[in-house]
Amino acid sequence: MKGFRKYLARKIGWYVITFVIALVLNFLLPRLIPGNPVARIASGAIEGLTDRSAIQAVIDEYKRLFGLDKPIHVQFIVYIKNLLRGDLGTSFNFYPRKVSEVIASAVGWTIALQLPAILVGWILGNLLGAIAGYVRGVFDKAILPLFLFISNIPAFGMAIMLLLIFGVYLGILPTSGGYGFDLIPSLTPEFIMSVIEHYQLPFWSIVLIMIGGQAIGMRSMSIYELNSDYVKYSRFLGIKDRIIVKYVFRNAVLPQITGLILSLGTMVGGALVAETIFSYPGLGTRMLSAITGQDYPLISGCTLIITIGVLLANLVLEILYGLLDPRIRAVQED
Amino acid sequence: MGKTILKVKDLRTKYVTRYKESVYAVDGVSLELEEGKSLGIAGESGCGKSTLALSLMGYYFTPLHYISGTIEIDGKIVTDMKPDDVRKNILGTEIAYIPQAAMNALNPTQKIINFIEDVVRAHYPKKSKKDIYDLACERFESLNLSREILGKYPVELSGGMKQRTVIAISTILSPKVLIADEPTSALDVSSQKVVIKMLKNLMEREIVKSMIFITHELPLLYNVTDDIMVMYAGQIVEKGTAEEVVFDPLHPYSKALMNSMIVPEAGMKDVKLTPIPGVPPSLKNPPPGCRFAERCKHASSTCKTEKIPEVYTEDGRMYRCLLTRDQLKGGKE
Amino acid sequence: MHLIREIFKSQNFVIGFVIFTIIFLSTIILPFFLKGDPLEIVGGLFYKPGTYINVSDTIEAKKYELKIDTLSNKISSLITQKDQDLMREWLVKYCNTVSEEEVKVAQHPMELVELWLKHYDPNIKMEGTTIAYRKSLSRLHQKIEKIFSDEGYVIAEKNSETGELAIVQELANNSYVHMSEIPNKRTFILGTDNFGRDVFTELISAIWNSIKIGFVAGSVATLIGLVVGLLAGYVGGMVDDILTFITNLLTVIPSFIILILISVSLGGKGNDIMTTALVIGITAWPWTARSVRAQTLSLKNRDHVNLSKLSGHSLVRIIIRDILPYVASYVTMAYILQVASAILAEAQLSMLGLGPRTTEIATLGLMLRWAIQFQAPLSGAWWAFIPVILSIALITFSLNLMNTGLDQVFNPQLRQN
Repeated sequence: MKGFRKYLARKIGWYVITFVIALVLNFLLPRLIPGNPVARIASGAIEGLTDRSAIQAVIDEYKRLFGLDKPIHVQFIVYIKNLLRGDLGTSFNFYPRKVSEVIASAVGWTIALQLPAILVGWILGNLLGAIAGYVRGVFDKAILPLFLFISNIPAFGMAIMLLLIFGVYLGILPTSGGYGFDLIPSLTPEFIMSVIEHYQLPFWSIVLIMIGGQAIGMRSMSIYELNSDYVKYSRFLGIKDRIIVKYVFRNAVLPQITGLILSLGTMVGGALVAETIFSYPGLGTRMLSAITGQDYPLISGCTLIITIGVLLANLVLEILYGLLDPRIRAVQED
Repeated sequence: MGKTILKVKDLRTKYVTRYKESVYAVDGVSLELEEGKSLGIAGESGCGKSTLALSLMGYYFTPLHYISGTIEIDGKIVTDMKPDDVRKNILGTEIAYIPQAAMNALNPTQKIINFIEDVVRAHYPKKSKKDIYDLACERFESLNLSREILGKYPVELSGGMKQRTVIAISTILSPKVLIADEPTSALDVSSQKVVIKMLKNLMEREIVKSMIFITHELPLLYNVTDDIMVMYAGQIVEKGTAEEVVFDPLHPYSKALMNSMIVPEAGMKDVKLTPIPGVPPSLKNPPPGCRFAERCKHASSTCKTEKIPEVYTEDGRMYRCLLTRDQLKGGKE
Repeated sequence: MHLIREIFKSQNFVIGFVIFTIIFLSTIILPFFLKGDPLEIVGGLFYKPGTYINVSDTIEAKKYELKIDTLSNKISSLITQKDQDLMREWLVKYCNTVSEEEVKVAQHPMELVELWLKHYDPNIKMEGTTIAYRKSLSRLHQKIEKIFSDEGYVIAEKNSETGELAIVQELANNSYVHMSEIPNKRTFILGTDNFGRDVFTELISAIWNSIKIGFVAGSVATLIGLVVGLLAGYVGGMVDDILTFITNLLTVIPSFIILILISVSLGGKGNDIMTTALVIGITAWPWTARSVRAQTLSLKNRDHVNLSKLSGHSLVRIIIRDILPYVASYVTMAYILQVASAILAEAQLSMLGLGPRTTEIATLGLMLRWAIQFQAPLSGAWWAFIPVILSIALITFSLNLMNTGLDQVFNPQLRQN
């Protein structure tokens, strides 16, 4: 296992560095805002005031509050210090609530939605793709073009369509929110049922998109593997097809995992926009309202959390891949 | 004359391309292989020799299709057997195949020993892991392969090692007939020597009883096999002992083949190389007459239209031509 | 040139190419036929697709009498399901002159109405019903009676001085007008959006803008990716390490996050199309860089390259003359994919409000944003977003098809059975 430990160490090291850089980017980019953001923000409080010194006092107060009166490297140190304490700043729009508090309530919803959705979609998609690759025939003529088209519909597109069909036309599923508007979050069966109901549309939008994309890829991969030399050789040695199929799918799944690693960022992005369609109380909706309201600390906080999430998920997947592909361990050992 | 271990009569098979066209790659091949003897099959790329190798196994699946003919291995008529029967009792145990380019023949994500377990268990499902491991160790070491290879993945082995591992795996159940499809083509010269030595070793120790060695390098066969068959456009055009075919080829094609190759021997310095003009006919629509007629110096109009029979000489050789032996000998370039 | 012929033999490529070209040409040609500013407000909130005819024109136009039964059409459209349910309920519950069976049998609205007219009696006692209920019954009855009466309507004009109404025309139930004699009519193929704009013309304009963004962003991304990939692959060493590091970094950090951060930092208002395209391009290049680098690496040690090196050619010359042509096929494929993903990225950005933020331009993403903001799905105004989604899907689909086709031509081993 020595090779694996090396692999693990390298991967973790790499992700730590990436995280640090993401942190810096997250801090730096929004602060490159041209013009004076403070005036914009404080405009609400300034309205009605005509006395110049009073206006200036308000602006100065806001500046101080949001730490914008110090030079940028000092700001960065303050930023890091606060980060280590779990303080992501104070939200402009939800003033005086802290960003971490505003996000905390949303993160749970997003993870509860996206993690299972992406997983289920990936598994189902690859399963379907594998079957399609093996069986061919009807699948190829009828279902393939359909899936091909579906995989080109963006996540939010699928979300809107499902909303229309099931929420409006058929009226069987709720169209917004995470739970009924009249309910208070509690562990009652009623509440739980409502949550599950509201969960359906966002969940299935993400799942369907993933299935579309994965199925196509897995099918190609399966066909490619099924035509490879080792399959032919194994057959001519008398090994049963049933066992050969196991080889093939094991080998075909590996690039699919790699594909997931590379596309996870994009997937999450699409899923977040899908969340906004349903006003699902997750990070997506939070971020949308933050952007609309120009709530920079909140935007910054959201992007940071999302980045951490994606990096973590990627790391987990990379470790998983290292465990599944024996070649990784073997190659590392020299 | 020893026991005939492999008898093939008028075998015809085809493979179907992705564009649904049929390529009649093996179009009436007959051969007899005796126990303890080795047979070389030589021909240019595209003549159908690789398809022939696979066809001889008796196991057909898309895109390879059986048309007609019989294959008999050690008395068992394989072409009459059900596919699952062939898979269980013939493949690997009676006849085995070594693929070209062994680098890709091994599953990249499987340890060698695990693959061997699958191979053995496909025929002897009850064998225990330990027995299989012992068998593998013993066999590998007797073929000068370290037992450490068993615990490795293909990516950890060099090209030559992979080829030799594949040979060891193909013969692990001691099949009677071994078919080696261009086993040396993808290797450097020193590895080639090792592989040939290994194959000869297998025969000497009677791990396999007979061998068919397929290559496009005709001269190579002189040092390796007892007899040689020359294949052209899906048919066998000449048969004889290695000595006879290499030094006294009868068929115009065999002659041309020998003339177009460099054989490192004394007196070669002054010999001019002459490549064979033209290209082989397409096997999707084989011509009715002699398939070599387009490129043959002796060709006449009858050659192109009449079906050319196999001509057997008194000294046990065969060639496929309308001309007599003397006529062929006469026309030297 | 033989290569181009090969490409056009590929089924996938041709289909994709045809679809994309149709869409692309439509956006260029159609505007000449569709007069009017795509962003001009012509209607109201989410008007249905169809033809709208000016009502006063119909009154002034020549009338034709058609002997067609207007009754059943009127009944079918004016008697709602609610009305039918009301009638059925009353007939079964309170009416004692008709059996439940008869009511069940009367499936068609016409039959139900006839039954109603036969048996409705406002004087029958209805125990426990509200006044509102009884009033709704009598309103319904009046409506039905009006439909059955042969009386038409009268048109009256108001005298501007006295305020009196004077009858100028009588409209019979069976008078019709001819469409071509109506001067003022407007057909909305796809209805109107939330602002009251013609969705169809807007869509054409939006597709054009989105494709523009796609091309620009794609070019930027491919260019940067090409340069980075070539340098990293060919020069190797430290340069490669640094460039690869940056590339991997930007691959793992979700590009949409960076997109959001940059867009936000550019200020909330007034990103124009070019800026959006540039930003998307700047965040999308890593993927191309990877692919180009891999290709370059494999080409680095080819004989013709070594020959050039020995001949003392400069770095730039070697890269351009010896490596670039071989990388060209990958670059073309990468470009197509970049265009597709840029169009998607723009849509995503705009949906979040970070795209071109003007009400003077329409893009596919913006149209979707407006549709969502103004609750188009909930209003059932499918025309405001379904065509947009389909357009996005079709465009990316056709681009992907072209790419698959090219892939099969350039990499024959990928051709599948």
